[in-house]
Amino acid sequence: MIKLDHVTKSYKAGATALADISLEVDKGEFVFLVGASGSGKSTFIRLLIKDEEPDTGDIVIAGKRLVGMKNWKVPALRRELGCVFQDFKLLDNKTVAENVSFALEVIGKPRNTINKTVPEVLKVVGLAHKHAAYPHELSGGEQQRVSIARAFVNHPRILLCDEPTGNLDPTTSVGIMKLLDRINKTGTTVLMATHDQHIVDSMRRRVVELEDGRMVRDQRRGVYGYGA
Amino acid sequence: MAPRFRYLLGELGVGLRRNLLMTVATVVTVTVSLSLLGAGLLTQRQVDIARQLFFQEVEVSIFLSDDISQQQRQSLERALADHPNVEHVQYESKEQAYAHFQEIFSDNESLLEGVSPKILPASFRVSLEDPQQFAEVAGAFRGRPGVDEVADQGQYLDRFFAILNGLRNGAVAIAVLQLAAASALIFNTIRVTAFARREQTGIMKLVGATNWYIRLPFMLEGIVAGVLGALLAGGLLLLASVTILSGVGQQIQFIPIVGTAEVLGVIPVLLVVGAVIAAVSSFLSLRRFLAV
Ligand SMILES: Nc1ncnc2c1ncn2[C@@H]1O[C@H](COP(=O)(O)OP(=O)(O)OP(=O)(O)O)[C@@H](O)[C@H]1O
Ligand SMILES: [Mg+2]
Repeated sequence: MIKLDHVTKSYKAGATALADISLEVDKGEFVFLVGASGSGKSTFIRLLIKDEEPDTGDIVIAGKRLVGMKNWKVPALRRELGCVFQDFKLLDNKTVAENVSFALEVIGKPRNTINKTVPEVLKVVGLAHKHAAYPHELSGGEQQRVSIARAFVNHPRILLCDEPTGNLDPTTSVGIMKLLDRINKTGTTVLMATHDQHIVDSMRRRVVELEDGRMVRDQRRGVYGYGA
Repeated sequence: MAPRFRYLLGELGVGLRRNLLMTVATVVTVTVSLSLLGAGLLTQRQVDIARQLFFQEVEVSIFLSDDISQQQRQSLERALADHPNVEHVQYESKEQAYAHFQEIFSDNESLLEGVSPKILPASFRVSLEDPQQFAEVAGAFRGRPGVDEVADQGQYLDRFFAILNGLRNGAVAIAVLQLAAASALIFNTIRVTAFARREQTGIMKLVGATNWYIRLPFMLEGIVAGVLGALLAGGLLLLASVTILSGVGQQIQFIPIVGTAEVLGVIPVLLVVGAVIAAVSSFLSLRRFLAV
């Protein structure tokens, strides 16, 4: 589902953000991407959504080869991926339901499909009753649920999350993780970058650790730190 | 289709309202530049009308010297008839020239008194297949035996057309400068709008909207400004046509002056130029925002 082959990425400033990363993730897996601040987690995700180009190496995701992909093919790629970020990226002038519909409208889904799917996905994330609320009327956890609903509404094959619990308290984070786990159980591959030791330790999923852009660990049923 | 259309209209309204002042400035600049362009095009139309009219009537007059022999005259006439660009040759004797002269100056006794058939030259009046080539025909016969002087009306027309062409070039040159300013303004307006909506654009890119889908409302906003400017320019030109031009037309009877019909012919051109320049400026302005 996701395959990186000797991928290297450095920014213009000079520092190498990712060095010689090779990794394979199968369909339906749940993978934590951990590492200190600046270790290259966000860069990793940006490469997967083709927000950045690798310097060398090869990336295949959802059956599509990213290196050398034509610009006009990128939208089709992104429709197969759902993205969730630490800062939610919701539109303040749209309601919960509108924020989710927006993602379907702009890829040209017909109105009746939108009218059917949006309430369904809001129910999945537990926000059916808040469909008419605006983002500023929601708690951080609720906002992140909206953002997950938006990422998931088109049933992407892969969900990429960059510190989705970064702005949330531990209890709220647990709720978000339960939601991501449920989405993963529907067969969606989930890759989640995080600092949150408690979450990683309690979930016991595959853990990939980065250190200064190098991959230093790839462990089945891992925990945040070394050991176990 | 329906949600998409509603989305487009919604975005358009938001965009136009957000920077009303800049939109107004843009529309005004487009109006000014396209009015000038229209004026240039109308001047060109006027030149064409005048050219056609005048050249239809242009003749080369070959005045003959008094001592021309019968033989020289016949050989000249033959050479004229054989010339590929000569349509028609007519001989005008001294007597006919005098009759003509009398007719033209019938109300000027003193002038008529001083003139007798003797002092007016005989001539060939030559009409041309392609009147624009009068200089070539005139040159071919100037200095031939028996030819005193070759006069062509084209010399005077040339000066007249030079003035009109100068006016047209001036109008078009200013129009081009103004259009550059207009396109810079559109470029800027769209960039400001795109910047104001960068969050939304970012999300659209993230969920896989195509670049054209993202671009369209912005470009539409630019095109609306361009088309609005073109319509206003067309209105100004129509106003000028019913006020100034129709007045000029009444003063100058000898040639038709461009009017409402010609203005209506120019308006589609202005609309296309306005829309295309706006579309291209908006497109270029969005390139940086849409770089994947
Ligand atoms: N746009 C950029 N331009 C230049 N350097 C960048 C850019 N983005 C990231 N970097 C650098 O690349 C390295 C990896 O950054 P990245 O954001 O991938 O780390 P991260 O693991 O996500 O960190 P955090 O946990 O703080 O989010 C860092 O040294 C960072 O300074
Ligand atoms: Mg990061």
